[in-house]
Amino acid sequence: MRLYKKEGATVQIISFPNEQVRKGDYLAIEDSKHGDNLIVQVIDMEYANIPGILEELLRNYDGDSSIAGEDVDPFDVAAHIRYIQDARLLICKIRASTHNGKLIPAGSHLPARSYARIRSVSVNELLTRPDGAEGYEIRLGETAEKTHLDVDVRALDGALNIITGKKGTGKSHIAKLLVLSLISHGAPVVIFDLNGEYIGLGQDTEGKPNEFSSKIHVLTPRQNFKVTLEQVKIHVLLNILVNALHLPGTSAREFRRIWHSLEQNGTLTMGELGEAIKNWRCNQHVRDALFSRYYTLLNSRLFTDNPALATSLENALDRARSGGAIVLNLRNESTTNRHIVVEYVLGKLVELLTTRRLRAIFLFAEEAHLYLRETYWDDIVTRMRHFGVFTTFITNQPDTIRENIYRQVDNLFVLNFTNEHDIDPISRAARVDAHTVKSIVRDLLPHHCLVLGKVVNDFPMIVKIKSLDVQAMGQTRLFFPVRICALTP
Amino acid sequence: MVNAQLPITTTPKYNFPLPQETLHPLELPKHFTKLSLLSLKPTQQKQRLSTKDTATQLPTHLRLQQSISSTELFPLTPNPIDTTIVAIDVSSIRLGETETGFLLGVRGAIVWKESKQYRYLRLGPFPFHITQRTEDEIRRLYRQDHPISRLQVRSIPQVYIIQSRLTTLLERWMQSFIIRTTRNSIILWDGSLAVDTTETPASTIKELLTAAHNNGNIILAFSKMTRLSLHGRRLTDLIFKHPPPCLLRIKEHINHFGQIRLMGNVYVAKFTKGKLAFRMDADKRRSSIEVVEAVQNLLGNDSILQSYPETLRLAHIFSTFTATEVLALQRCITQKSGLRVITTLNLRRLLFGRFGKTQKGC
Ligand SMILES: Nc1ncnc2c1ncn2[C@@H]1O[C@H](COP(=O)(O)OP(=O)(O)O)[C@@H](O)[C@H]1O
Ligand SMILES: [Mg+2]
Repeated sequence: MRLYKKEGATVQIISFPNEQVRKGDYLAIEDSKHGDNLIVQVIDMEYANIPGILEELLRNYDGDSSIAGEDVDPFDVAAHIRYIQDARLLICKIRASTHNGKLIPAGSHLPARSYARIRSVSVNELLTRPDGAEGYEIRLGETAEKTHLDVDVRALDGALNIITGKKGTGKSHIAKLLVLSLISHGAPVVIFDLNGEYIGLGQDTEGKPNEFSSKIHVLTPRQNFKVTLEQVKIHVLLNILVNALHLPGTSAREFRRIWHSLEQNGTLTMGELGEAIKNWRCNQHVRDALFSRYYTLLNSRLFTDNPALATSLENALDRARSGGAIVLNLRNESTTNRHIVVEYVLGKLVELLTTRRLRAIFLFAEEAHLYLRETYWDDIVTRMRHFGVFTTFITNQPDTIRENIYRQVDNLFVLNFTNEHDIDPISRAARVDAHTVKSIVRDLLPHHCLVLGKVVNDFPMIVKIKSLDVQAMGQTRLFFPVRICALTP
Repeated sequence: MVNAQLPITTTPKYNFPLPQETLHPLELPKHFTKLSLLSLKPTQQKQRLSTKDTATQLPTHLRLQQSISSTELFPLTPNPIDTTIVAIDVSSIRLGETETGFLLGVRGAIVWKESKQYRYLRLGPFPFHITQRTEDEIRRLYRQDHPISRLQVRSIPQVYIIQSRLTTLLERWMQSFIIRTTRNSIILWDGSLAVDTTETPASTIKELLTAAHNNGNIILAFSKMTRLSLHGRRLTDLIFKHPPPCLLRIKEHINHFGQIRLMGNVYVAKFTKGKLAFRMDADKRRSSIEVVEAVQNLLGNDSILQSYPETLRLAHIFSTFTATEVLALQRCITQKSGLRVITTLNLRRLLFGRFGKTQKGC
């Protein structure tokens, strides 16, 4: 390999056919005279712009009217021609420098083109972890060099993460991997499981309980997840009424009065609530508005007046406190019900966090735009994060996540996207340049993920995510028994 | 019609050239390879080769300004009667300088057009390291009584024209080979039949022309129009009055000009519409009628693009070096001999120059 050109943070390197280089690989450009090395990453490959190549190709064109012939080439110059024709230009981004073997941020040092040596760098050279990192590793999978990629679980602590990629590329799989890793390191996790994909986390691929089975607590609304009005705080219920059920402000004020009166009488039940709305002295429009919401709540069958049938989220979270996950199975739930459940859970989490009953919680949200109201987005990355809600968003529509979330993201797991347009919002993330994301992501193989951010010391890496011995669930239901093979990218 | 009256000779079916006793198809490549390897051998003696004037263009083209007396025009009608056409061209290119000399690449190409099909044979490229020692070696070889030496230069080459000598060496051999192994064909050369006698003895060319004649071949040598004029009028202007295809015979008084000997008659060929015309030389011993007949067969058998026969154009393309080949040759030399190129090439010129050719025909 030879250093060819440097333009800003981009370095171009000529690589010859006998040198094995892949997109995503790291290279060190070594300047032995100064002891300074540049660490660059290959983000794209092109044909080297060999002069006269077009002429060469045209001349040797083997078309219908091709000219048969014979070459007496005693010096086998043809082999050298092929060698040159197959030379590639590696487009690389500067990621760091090293000075006397220590990693430092990339400086302005320009290695000498004439004598700079270029060698491959193994990713584990870049992920040097501080002392005391033992016991905090989680295995994501393996790198292109077929070495294990272990990252520090603490890089997820306090972090905002995004997992994205087109449908079926393994987003939920990565989320599950992260969930199980967090659990095994003693962290509590809550999952908004839109498609019921996480409910099998406690079972192995054969459906038998696995090592996590006692730590996975699946809550399915209306079945094992019901609440009493007592459990729901007035501000949470108002949030539900106003945000999920669009109750107008005047009616909401009236509702608050009704609530207080029931509270004072110690009759905070769904039955009493209905009676109270019926008899409450108020404008007929207000009463109608309240009644329609009341029936929605009633029909949601999420509420019970029987404390024995009610679920204590507090208790469930207590159990998860030293490692466990609560899976809120939102599959088969109406949009309204999803909203109600999410409002309730988030309200409860903030309550428990502010009262310090919970230290912190890792929240996994699949396709959050389907149940998270607008105002929550900012809340989650600012206020809630401050309280200790560390969220991982999972989506196949990156544009449903707002730009300010991308800007604050700590870790980004990007799987394959074929449509460049989809990648635009991701490439705005502050952690990496757009060129890197676009170039690498469109070529990612199945189960391969571009990992960006803190977990990888801000060295973007391509990882083949390891498989998991859990029930996959959530596979798309099909009519025909066997799916035809589609071309994978 | 002239053609209708001419006897029709059947063209023998073409077979791949059979080796003659003295000129096996691989003999010269072998010889060339040996010479090339020898030149690339590392040397202790660091004697610098004088490379000045190496780019000197040899005066292979005739200046006829003073000698033209009259012209004769021949309108042409393409004759599709099956005729084999063979074209030969050789290219050489300077690959850069070394500490002791310079590096050269030489390659030859033969293209056949036969039964509507083109076929080629390429010899090379051969890399050469031209140093004082190579020169001595070539000198030594030339003195030996090697069968091909009869076709070689008569005088001892000077350093600065070694490039041309090596090119000519390969070219004359290929020409000789084709002439002796082909019958009843039209043989196209690049250049003219005006020979620089310092490079090729007149007898060599005479021998080639005779051998061609004996085998029923006719040699037509094409070169770019030199600035010929007749009574103050450019010949190009004279021929452009006439509808193509046509041939203009130029009659001269003298047959040598300094070191240059005219071995052929000079014609101006305009085969297609447009601004281009070429000088075409044909054997002096061939009558204009014979030449016209041959050219009509050429027009009837080869495609003509911008007044130039396609077979010859292909030979030219197959022999010239692309920029990639230049890089490849440099690499090949570096690996074989450890020689490093000091002056880098002007790739621009390679790319935008006419097929990157530096030596001949341009
Ligand atoms: N790294 C992996 N190793 C093995 N199987 C995987 C991996 N990633 C995904 N899968 C499988 O591929 C399928 C689709 O993955 P999934 O995570 O559901 O995709 P997505 O959530 O992006 O639609 C699932 O059956 C999953 O088990
Ligand atoms: Mg999924």
